[in-house]
Amino acid sequence: MTERSPSLAAANEAALMRAPIAGFLAWLVPGLGHIFLGYRARGLIFLVTITATFWTGVAIGGVRGTVDPRERSLWFVAQLCTGANTLAAYGFNRAITPAPDPVDPSQARFVPPHWMAAEVGVHYTGVAGLLNMLVILNALTLAEFRSRGGSSARPPPKGAQ
Amino acid sequence: MSLLLGLFTTGIALTGPVRLALMLPLCLAIAVVYKTTRCEDLRQVPMAALGLWITIVIGMCAVGLGLWLLFMLMI
Repeated sequence: MTERSPSLAAANEAALMRAPIAGFLAWLVPGLGHIFLGYRARGLIFLVTITATFWTGVAIGGVRGTVDPRERSLWFVAQLCTGANTLAAYGFNRAITPAPDPVDPSQARFVPPHWMAAEVGVHYTGVAGLLNMLVILNALTLAEFRSRGGSSARPPPKGAQ
Repeated sequence: MSLLLGLFTTGIALTGPVRLALMLPLCLAIAVVYKTTRCEDLRQVPMAALGLWITIVIGMCAVGLGLWLLFMLMI
């Protein structure tokens, strides 16, 4: 039975903690997980591309017709993968939505004035969320790869080593 | 600030071929993010993303054309 030195054990523990932190940061702000892991340029590309895609969708469809968990619940789950972007958009939606009529709550249902634009906006924001899911998985893979001592930007495929 | 907020409050009216043209930037975003995760050297990303973008757009146009032809045959 081998015994590890305390400094090596602490280093391994720190390396193990990097994956969940990188995953959480990648969810919170697209690309931040990669920046945390040291892939700054890659992280900036993700940050700009995914954030621009999400807010372009909100601008096309309008925030009330795009980020709506009641009317578009499955799309909202996809949008939630962009983390702070969706939370900010949803907060903005709640802020500008008038309080429902206590006598007839069904009056609170929002119908977008431009339904085609709302559909396009939902697709933009949903795809941005799914792209960030890909980025989160990539950040988790890179964090695990680095914890094993790898330094490349892309882990080799299985069987290549 | 209110001008910026107003940009995201109400949607825009989409008519005509603009609706289809909006798939181009979305496909470009997909191509850029995917190729950034795949390419080891970031200098390869622009050309790889451009190639994937063209492939997606041509593929979607081919699928759309095929469905349209099928629709025309069925009516």
